[in-house]
Amino acid sequence: MNTSKKQASIFSGVTLAALAAVVLMPLLLPSATLATEILIFALAALGCNLLLGYTGLLSFGQAIFFGGGAYVASLTMIHLGFGLLGALFAAMIAGAALAALVGLLAIRRTGIYFVMLTLAFTQMAYFLAYTLSDWTGGDNGLLDVPRPPLTLFGFEISDLTSSYAFYTFVAVMFMLIFVFARRVIHSPFGTTLVAIRENEGRASAVGFSTNHFKLLAFVISGGITGIAGALYAMLLNFAPLSNIELLMSENILIMTIIGGTGSLLGSLLGAGSIVMLGDLLSSVWPRWMIILGIALIAVVLFMPSGLWGGVESLIKRWKERRSGASEKAAKEAEAK
Amino acid sequence: MSDYILETEQLGLRYGAFAALGSVDLKIRRGTIHTVIGPNGAGKTTLFHCLTGERRPSSGKIRFDGKDLTRQPAHKRVSSGMSRSFQITSLFQNLSVRENLRLAAQGRDGLGALAFWYSDTHRSKHLEKADEVLDRIKLTHLANTDAGDLSHGQQRVLEVGMSLCSDPELLLLDEPTSGMGVDDIPVMTKLISELGKDHTVMLIEHNMKLVMSISDRITVMHQGNILIEGEPEEVRGDERVKKAYLGESGS
Amino acid sequence: MSLYLFQALNGIGLGMIYFLISVGLTIIFGLLNFVNFAHGAYYLLGSYLCFTLVSLTGNFWLALVVAPVAVAMLAWVTEKTLIRRAYHLPHTFHILITLGIALIIQELSIAVWGPIGKTVAVPEALSGVFRMGDFFYPKYRLFVILFTAVIAVGLWLLLERTRFGALVRAGSEDAETVSLLGTHIHKLFALTFALGVGLAGLAGVLAAPIRGVHPFIGPEVLGLAFVVVVIGGMGSFSGALVGGLLVGLVQSMMTTIWPQGASLMIYGAMAVVILLRPYGLFGRA
Repeated sequence: MNTSKKQASIFSGVTLAALAAVVLMPLLLPSATLATEILIFALAALGCNLLLGYTGLLSFGQAIFFGGGAYVASLTMIHLGFGLLGALFAAMIAGAALAALVGLLAIRRTGIYFVMLTLAFTQMAYFLAYTLSDWTGGDNGLLDVPRPPLTLFGFEISDLTSSYAFYTFVAVMFMLIFVFARRVIHSPFGTTLVAIRENEGRASAVGFSTNHFKLLAFVISGGITGIAGALYAMLLNFAPLSNIELLMSENILIMTIIGGTGSLLGSLLGAGSIVMLGDLLSSVWPRWMIILGIALIAVVLFMPSGLWGGVESLIKRWKERRSGASEKAAKEAEAK
Repeated sequence: MSDYILETEQLGLRYGAFAALGSVDLKIRRGTIHTVIGPNGAGKTTLFHCLTGERRPSSGKIRFDGKDLTRQPAHKRVSSGMSRSFQITSLFQNLSVRENLRLAAQGRDGLGALAFWYSDTHRSKHLEKADEVLDRIKLTHLANTDAGDLSHGQQRVLEVGMSLCSDPELLLLDEPTSGMGVDDIPVMTKLISELGKDHTVMLIEHNMKLVMSISDRITVMHQGNILIEGEPEEVRGDERVKKAYLGESGS
Repeated sequence: MSLYLFQALNGIGLGMIYFLISVGLTIIFGLLNFVNFAHGAYYLLGSYLCFTLVSLTGNFWLALVVAPVAVAMLAWVTEKTLIRRAYHLPHTFHILITLGIALIIQELSIAVWGPIGKTVAVPEALSGVFRMGDFFYPKYRLFVILFTAVIAVGLWLLLERTRFGALVRAGSEDAETVSLLGTHIHKLFALTFALGVGLAGLAGVLAAPIRGVHPFIGPEVLGLAFVVVVIGGMGSFSGALVGGLLVGLVQSMMTTIWPQGASLMIYGAMAVVILLRPYGLFGRA
């Protein structure tokens, strides 16, 4: 009983922290577009975290789902006249289906072969997108991607043309998916994923068909990443080929790791710091990605729990000091 | 219902020309503690791996509760009512003792645990099971400790506890005292003999004192085949068994 | 007919270059038990060093010797300073560290050599074509096939006939035996990493006059090497050779049939292998 209450309070606390960040970001950052980009990549990192942080699967395939989601949303809007929510739904399905496909093949191997396969499939998807230039625009990318208005039950709620309106929409999507991800992590499925991460042999011995669990983790991750890709295309009004490049997978992975694996707020923090760093530096110094490489090595060697792990230990220390201080105050009061 | 919960029929496993397992007919009677012993290389572990599903036998059959599960994958055998422990401790090191056991209890749900849409705290039956097992293996006071922080002896006990969580009819224990200190062995001996009251237990073990004191039946293996089978007293006095073990130390 | 022979030779040349890359990856994996995700970046560096040396001295032969050795020395230093710190960590961490190294090398290369690709001239002695009857083939490409064949034989002798090779092979099969070497193991690890990476650098040099140098080639090379080792099996010399040649031939033959899809087909072939034989053509479960 005690534990369930404790979990419930953690649930609301973390969600409230995410909500606070989402509300404050457009106020503190120079532009709503930057804030939108952060949330979009936070979604992609969230999807990656589900695999890496909770299931222990290092996937270089995230660009396939991101790029695939962007293309499918754009193409369904351009050619089939899909609305905003319809296109996002299509992107989610596409991301999930692509993830199922990649997962089905890659999960046949474990360990290092699994990682190599996900990387090879990203290369394959890249060449596929490059070859199908009639659909994807090839090297030039897919131009003139619309950003349809938000309509619910026939009523237009917002045309989403202003950057703040679009930010608000993305923020709502982010919070919905964030809460969904919290639910997934604390479900029987989510706890089983952690078991697989900790010890796959034992997980299988106590009765879990681990491949089914890994596959579903892939599908959920792919769906979330597909939505992120679609939102990115709507933000830019453009779906570049770089969406489906290996470098995109690497970026998403690096955000997840630098933020901190195994914590959803870490994904927001990781995406936030790297998107901001890029925004600050890319115009001044186009080779700023060197810093990313150095930061990645430093985090792996010296701070494996990532930025969020650092924040957590700071909070812990602060709490200890505060409780120490209040004890001291109580003692002083007693002495008087 | 057959008297025997587990039967193997001419079970064999060959690697090329080498027969790790010749032709084994093992019958385990319901409600007994049945130990398999034998010198190193006798095929005990190979037999065990065939029973758990880690290795696929090249010939013969395994019947559990009358059903043929020779080709059933390891994870499915749990829902059939079979559960195993590992010789080398295999726990979820960074999770609490209670969460280890809760996950093990959840394992019996099989694909039911794919449910990702509700909170795991809504279903308390796995937690209740975990607490019940905690009480049984006497680790309740360490419920919130990480499994990796337990002493070696406690980890061995938890290792056996993990296999209890699925309410198995048959427990397969792979050298439960492996690596345990002398002081911890009586705890394990007591635990296994108590488990024998509610479950059928099949174990592989080297500690002869434990084997002789708790087993109802003993099967002695030698060179991939069964040498003899009988009650502890019969096995203890058998010349062939002495010879098999002497052959090991002589070589 | 001669078109197919031409493409087959192209495929063999390409395949031998893939072999050099993959066998380096495989040797490192065999002994050090981790996959070097910076392998493509070191290849890139080999190509760029070749470009610089050729444009400074005009001597390709100098580049052929100096560039791979320089790449190997850099690898030796990275092993000593960075990678060594990660041996006790899980394999995910090795991947991430080498991924970081790859990013740094790629971005530094762009900073030094610019974002636009470069071309390297074929050495004068090997310019022109080789004639046999009415069949023509570029001399340089023929040289690449012969040269890599010599390297392959030399490498095989090194691995099979020397003490160094015996240690590397022993280490691939049983890490404990090698750990008996004590402190020497560090030397062995560093040398093996340098050798494996040096081979990638050599591949980069050899490929430069054929394919030019492009700053974003690293990931493509890495992906190709992965396809080779997934098909041929990791940790085996013959697997890398057969896998490399197979991938090279498929790619080169496809360019006559469906040029745009040539790169795609290789990955398709890999997916088929994974479906039919998840442990590769030569791998065991």
